Amino acid sequence: MSETTCPRCSSAGAVADYRGVEAGALIWTIHRCVVCCFSWRDSEPPSAIGAGVRSGDFAVDAANLDRYPKILQQ
Amino acid sequence: MTDIAKRAREITSLRDFLALLEEAGQAITWSERVMPEPDVRNVAVAASRDANGAPAIVFDNIAGYPGKRTAVGVHGSWDNIALLLGRPKGTSIRELFFEIVGRWGDAEAQISYVPEAQAPIHECRVESGINLYDILPVYRINEYDGGFYLGKASVASRDPEDPADFGKQNVGIYRLQLQGPDSFTLMTIPSHDMGRQIMAAERTGLPLKIAVMLGNHPGLAVFAATPIGYEESEYSYASAMMGAPIRLTKSGNGIDILADSEIVIEAEMQLGERVLEGPFGEFPGSYSGVRKAPIFKVTAVSHRRDPIFENIYIGRGWTEHDTLIGLHTSAPIYAQLRQNFPEVTAVNALYQHGLTGIISVKNRMAGFAKTVALRALSTPHGIMYLKNLIMVDADVDPFDLNQVMWALSTRTRADDIIVLPNMPAVPIDPSAVVPGKGHRLIIDATSYLRPDPIGEAHLVNPPTGPDIDALSKKIRVMQGGASA
Ligand SMILES: [Zn+2]
Repeated sequence: MSETTCPRCSSAGAVADYRGVEAGALIWTIHRCVVCCFSWRDSEPPSAIGAGVRSGDFAVDAANLDRYPKILQQ
Repeated sequence: MTDIAKRAREITSLRDFLALLEEAGQAITWSERVMPEPDVRNVAVAASRDANGAPAIVFDNIAGYPGKRTAVGVHGSWDNIALLLGRPKGTSIRELFFEIVGRWGDAEAQISYVPEAQAPIHECRVESGINLYDILPVYRINEYDGGFYLGKASVASRDPEDPADFGKQNVGIYRLQLQGPDSFTLMTIPSHDMGRQIMAAERTGLPLKIAVMLGNHPGLAVFAATPIGYEESEYSYASAMMGAPIRLTKSGNGIDILADSEIVIEAEMQLGERVLEGPFGEFPGSYSGVRKAPIFKVTAVSHRRDPIFENIYIGRGWTEHDTLIGLHTSAPIYAQLRQNFPEVTAVNALYQHGLTGIISVKNRMAGFAKTVALRALSTPHGIMYLKNLIMVDADVDPFDLNQVMWALSTRTRADDIIVLPNMPAVPIDPSAVVPGKGHRLIIDATSYLRPDPIGEAHLVNPPTGPDIDALSKKIRVMQGGASA
C-alpha cells in the first residue's frame, strides 16, 4: 500500500501513474487518488497540491461519495 | 482567389495550419524551458489577453517531457480564424461572420478515404502496455481542475443502434479527464449527441466505441463544436465550409477519423460505470462541480511520428474557447432565424457560448423583436444556452458593443424587459437556480414603431335599452313557436 496521501480528500494509497524522466533523472511523478479520482503532479505549486494550503472549497469528502450526482441517469 | 484564400483551402492538417500561421506571424514556438504547471497555463493566459491578435504557441521544452510538443491557442484569436477562412489579418468580426454565413449550407462536401496503411495518423501504433502519459504532455489547465484534461479533442463515435449510418456518426468536443494510464472520463449532457449515444448504449447494452482525435484539421475543430443536427455529418460540414476535401480513414475500431490528425485514442465505454469527474474550469469562467461520469477504457492509440498534442486554455474569458466557437455558434442561429424571419440582419452569440446574445432585426411591427427573441430561444442552441438576449434595430451593428450600448441607453424602456423564469439552462451556468434550470432575460433595445398604439383604441357602443330588450323577447317567442 502506497503512503502517498491525496491533497484533495486526504485518503492514503494514491498510485503513481507516470514519472517524467530526463537523461535518467526523475523530474516529477504523476499520482492518482483511487478514492476521489484526483490526479496531480508532485512538482505543482503548493496552492494546488499543498496540504493545508490548497483551497478548502475544492476538497472532496471521501466519507460521503454518494453526495456527488451521477450524470446521464436513465 | 487571393493567395491567402488559396492557401487556406490547401490546409489538410494541424501542421499545415501551424505553418501558415507562423508565416503570418500568428504562431510562435516557445522553447524557453517551462514547467507543466503553472507555466504552460500562464503563457496561454497571457497570450489570450489579445483576442484579436494572439498567436498559437507551440511548447517544445517542457520539463519532464523530453522531445514532446504541445500547442495551445491555435484558434485563439480572430486573426487566426481569419487566416483559417482565407481572409487577411485584421478582418473585422462582422466580416468573418458574413464570410461564414455566406458559406453555410452552400457548398458540396468532398470526402475522400485514405487506406489505413497510407494514413499519416497510423504511422505509429500502440496496442498493448498503453500509457497515455507516454504520448501526451498533459498539464493542469486550471489550478483546481480535478485532473489532467484533454480540452480540445474531437470525439468521433457511431450511433450504437445504427452504426452503419454515416450521418448519425457524431464528432464533438467533450471534456475528457485522464483517469489513469489507459482510462478517461467523458462529460456530456443528455441534449448533446454524445449524451444521446451513451444513453442509447446503456439502454440497449450495445457497445459504444469511440475515437478521440487530437491535433486535428483546424476546420474540423470548429465544426466539432458547432450545434448542427443529429443526423448531419460534421465531416461534411467541415469540408463544405472549407471549400476543400477532407481526408478520412478508419480507426482500428471501425470509426471514420481524419487521416491527418496527430493522435487518435481508441476506446470503449464501460457500460453503466461511473467515476468521479471534475471540477473543471469551464467556459462561463467558473468551476463545474464534481460528478460521476462515464468511463472509457483505451484499446489502442495511433499517432504520427513526433506528434503535437493540441490542447486549449479554457476558463475565465476571454479564452480560445470563445474564438474557437463564437462565429460557429452565431451563424446557425442566424440561419435558423432567417428561415422564419428574414428581418434578422445579424446574430452575435460570441459571449461564452451564447450565454449572452445580441440580435439585430428590422421591426416588422411594434414589439416584433420580442417575437424574434422567443424564436431564438427555441433554436437548438438557444434551448440550453441563450440566456441573456439583447435585441437591437438593424441600424445597430451587434458586433460593435459601443453601438449596442447606445441602443440600450436610448431605446430600452424598462417594461420592454422580459424575464422568463425557470427555463432549461446549461448545467454549468453558475447563475442557474439549480444546475440545468434558470431564468432567461430578453432586453428589447429596438426603437418602437410609430404610432405606438397604446390608448388609441375606442370602444364600440352596441344599441341597448327597452327597444332592444323587446326585440330580444320577440326573437325568443318566434323561436319557441317554430319548435312547437
Ligand atoms: Zn483523493
